[in-house]
Amino acid sequence: MADTDPILRIEHMTKRYGDKEVLKDASLSINKGELKVLIGPSGGGKSTLLQCINFLIKPDRGRIWLDGEEIIRAKGKALYDYRQKVGMIFQDFNLFDHLTALHNVQIGLVRVKGMNGNTAKERAVRELDRVGLKDYMHQYPAELSGGQKQRVSIARALAMDPEIMLLDEPTSALDPELISEVLDVIRAVRSDGMTMIMSTHQIGFASELADELIFLEDGSIGEAGPPAKILYAAESARAREFCSKITELYGSSSS
Amino acid sequence: MRELFFLQPDILSALARGLVVSVQLIIPSAFFGVIIGVSVGALRVYGNPVVKTVANGYVLVFRGFPLVVQLFIWYFGLPYIGIYLTPFVAAVIGFSLCSGAYQSEYVRGAFLSVKTGQMLAAQALGFSRIKMVLFVTLPQAFRRALPGCGNEIIYLIKYSSLAYMITCIELTGEGKIIASDSFRYTETFMVIGAVYLVLTSAAAWLLRRVEDRLHLPGFEQYS
Repeated sequence: MADTDPILRIEHMTKRYGDKEVLKDASLSINKGELKVLIGPSGGGKSTLLQCINFLIKPDRGRIWLDGEEIIRAKGKALYDYRQKVGMIFQDFNLFDHLTALHNVQIGLVRVKGMNGNTAKERAVRELDRVGLKDYMHQYPAELSGGQKQRVSIARALAMDPEIMLLDEPTSALDPELISEVLDVIRAVRSDGMTMIMSTHQIGFASELADELIFLEDGSIGEAGPPAKILYAAESARAREFCSKITELYGSSSS
Repeated sequence: MRELFFLQPDILSALARGLVVSVQLIIPSAFFGVIIGVSVGALRVYGNPVVKTVANGYVLVFRGFPLVVQLFIWYFGLPYIGIYLTPFVAAVIGFSLCSGAYQSEYVRGAFLSVKTGQMLAAQALGFSRIKMVLFVTLPQAFRRALPGCGNEIIYLIKYSSLAYMITCIELTGEGKIIASDSFRYTETFMVIGAVYLVLTSAAAWLLRRVEDRLHLPGFEQYS
């Protein structure tokens, strides 16, 4: 397989609710180790697109290839296997409230991967260590800050050994002073070579790290390209307007 | 002698016998009631439309029919189709199914209170629907349903007194016999009532212990 073969490719993804088309014929592909960032106004389809990729939302139309293999019968065991390879991080963390940080990371390994308890625990501790939360492993979600919860959720996703991770506005629900601890973890995961598609308003972070920015509006991909181009020389007026606004708000350099 | 009426050996042993039967009725009924309640509650939330309709129908009927009528059907009605149940078995079946219908309502509410995001997270990790329910939502729903379910068990302790209507002579049944033999209705039923009070208090204490035992940060019940 050539290096240029995309690890994930989606084509003509479409989703409608009633007569509102929230995703229109979206296509993208991403190579191993790349970070692609979805930007665009709220309600533009970023979340829908990410959730269609792992079938949390069933797309009406569209095809997906992972590692060159098309995901055809997206149900039952094939679906569960596929989802294990696609890690997901949510805006609201979505930790399991009844489990400690350690068990949040461990449960997927034991219940989904069928790993035995001790091996799973070792792995979970290692992942928590990686996000800097080893000392907090016995805390429950209610006892953790938002930033810590999001880092636990990243550890939970990493533990499953995904081939690609989808991050749906991972810092949008956080207090400003907690954002950087999560971004630092994402940066570290990225430099370990993880392939990621992320939606965010943290434009400074995106312009520093992204291989490509994808501007999504009204459910369709308006424009895509290197950060510098999209942020400062976008072709469409709408993308230019959005980018200048968001750059003003969130800063042009990563802080 | 009048004051010592309840200390007479035969009276005392009749009450003790009744108490034993009551407890024998209550424990399995409470157990099966919770099992049915959790299962039906889960099906009412996560089942497909057909399963949901059947489960809702069950709850509608078993909450809607008076319990005495249900007991009569189990005990006096089933022989018409060739099924003969002992009074005890008929009572346990009647209580379990009725209690389960009520329990399922508490459990259903508790399942609905689990944040949907957690289900998305479980699915995103590769959980099947059934594993998601078993390992993610049920442990949370059970904790949230516990106060309501405990309440239902307290009710069950009291409505177990209906068993004597189908000739399963438990505490109330023995009391009725003692009272009619002695014409001491007031004293007898005061004593019977007090015994139920002890039973419900013990159950309430026990349930409290279970709640404390299962308590986790973030699952505070404000009372």
